[in-house]
Amino acid sequence: MIQTLGLTRRYGERVAVEDLTLEVKAGEVLGLLGPNGAGKTTTVRMLAGLLAPSAGEAYVAGHRVTREPEKVRPRVGVVPENPGLYKRLTVRQNLRFFAELYGVGDPRRVEEALALVGLAERAEEPVATLSKGLRQRLALARALVHDPPVLLLDEPTSGLDPEAAKEVRDLLAELSLAHRAILLCTHNLAEAERLCHRIAVLKTRLLAVGAPAELKARLFGRRIVVTLARPAPGLPQVLNLPFVRSASLDGAKLFVAVEEPERHNPLLVRRLVELGAEILYVEEEERTLEEVYLELVEGDRAA
Amino acid sequence: MRLRVLVLKEWAELFRIKMVLYSCAFMPLLMAGFAGFMVWQGRTLPPEAQGPLFNAALLYFLILPVMIPATLGVYSVVGEKEQGTLEPLLATPLSDLELFLGKSLVAVIPALLLTWGVFGLFLLAVLFMMPGGIPEGVLSLPWLLSIFGLSPFMALFAALVAMLISSRASDSRAAYQFAGLAVVPVLVPLIVYSARLLAVDLRFVALEGGILVALDVALLYLGIKAFRREEILIRWK
Repeated sequence: MIQTLGLTRRYGERVAVEDLTLEVKAGEVLGLLGPNGAGKTTTVRMLAGLLAPSAGEAYVAGHRVTREPEKVRPRVGVVPENPGLYKRLTVRQNLRFFAELYGVGDPRRVEEALALVGLAERAEEPVATLSKGLRQRLALARALVHDPPVLLLDEPTSGLDPEAAKEVRDLLAELSLAHRAILLCTHNLAEAERLCHRIAVLKTRLLAVGAPAELKARLFGRRIVVTLARPAPGLPQVLNLPFVRSASLDGAKLFVAVEEPERHNPLLVRRLVELGAEILYVEEEERTLEEVYLELVEGDRAA
Repeated sequence: MRLRVLVLKEWAELFRIKMVLYSCAFMPLLMAGFAGFMVWQGRTLPPEAQGPLFNAALLYFLILPVMIPATLGVYSVVGEKEQGTLEPLLATPLSDLELFLGKSLVAVIPALLLTWGVFGLFLLAVLFMMPGGIPEGVLSLPWLLSIFGLSPFMALFAALVAMLISSRASDSRAAYQFAGLAVVPVLVPLIVYSARLLAVDLRFVALEGGILVALDVALLYLGIKAFRREEILIRWK
């Protein structure tokens, strides 16, 4: 549904996005992570047909953004970082205006979109009286009112209090069930992990893309943590198993990187028992998306 | 269709601002008041002196269609930029032509309705004030054509200049400062009228109309060319 091929955007001498190639399929939520200035907003704007790429190409809902931006725009719903609502108009007036601009003839669509984001009760209130969270919900309704196959969300929970952010996240989780391609730019790693099928880490260039678990495994491998009853110095050196990539001891915790934990863990445990180790717990080490992100971004900085 | 939607939204938004409503109502009434006062002062003059005075009073109704759009139009783009509403608007299928023309009409239509409305009020007041009625030959075809035929093009000119300034301005204060420029070129024929350098005849009105149409088309073209979506999005965070 979204496909970019070597997408590049320069602002004068400065490169904002370089050689970005990725794909978002229908029904998939792709999280775009990256530090400030990484090119996330520029990417969203290029995909929305608002900015022309300096090089490369992007296809959105089957249309080329460089050649047919007028065909791309009706097929995309955009939630920019700033909701950009008309504060003097009511909730319904805002939504009706955009619905009509998108050529939505059926007024029921407006009511459906309002109901979807839980704003039906407040439809006659001026936007100026809404909280930030409710405004963000209205911006989501605006992006959905023409039922686009592609949603581009640029930090939709930015600046919201935890409760409002959770409401928006819950709503996004519902939306991701529909058959849409969603690109979600966010700084919130927990949000990305919860909502996104795959994560793309961008820092002008694409650093990595994949499912959160896949990225963790790719960067850190899969490590097993064996908690022993007491420290056993020298144990890592005598393990001597072909499937063990590395082993280290930290106090009473033994960290073992294995190729396939599902197949190799029983063999590992048997060997440890043979060596006289008293095992309390065996678990897979939990890596967070934050660790993956920092590893990628800081690794890139060091490079 | 999208043009109508844009115009109706702009009005719904604009006329919720009380100051805009007051200023829109105040200026035409003030101008009509000035015009009426001139006629009132000249009511005792001999009929041959009343004609030029009456014509001078009519000039106010040629200034109005320029002043109102200049005021209303200047906020149209810069206001969207300041409110942060331009990005979602540009993300819709609205074309630059629709955006430019729609926002111009938002300023032009009220300006014309107000001008013609207060002109009607002025004529009614004159009928009451002047015992002999409107002096003969004053409301000639060229003058009526100027007020009803040329004023739409004058209003469009002012609105387009205001829009052009609005889309290029960095903030609303700067835009308002420059908006006065919208009035200047249209004042030229008014100076010619009032100084009676040329007789207000059909030839003159046709010439002025032709120039205004050409200027409006050129301005619309220039405005769309100068309306750079990318630059606006990049410069306005």
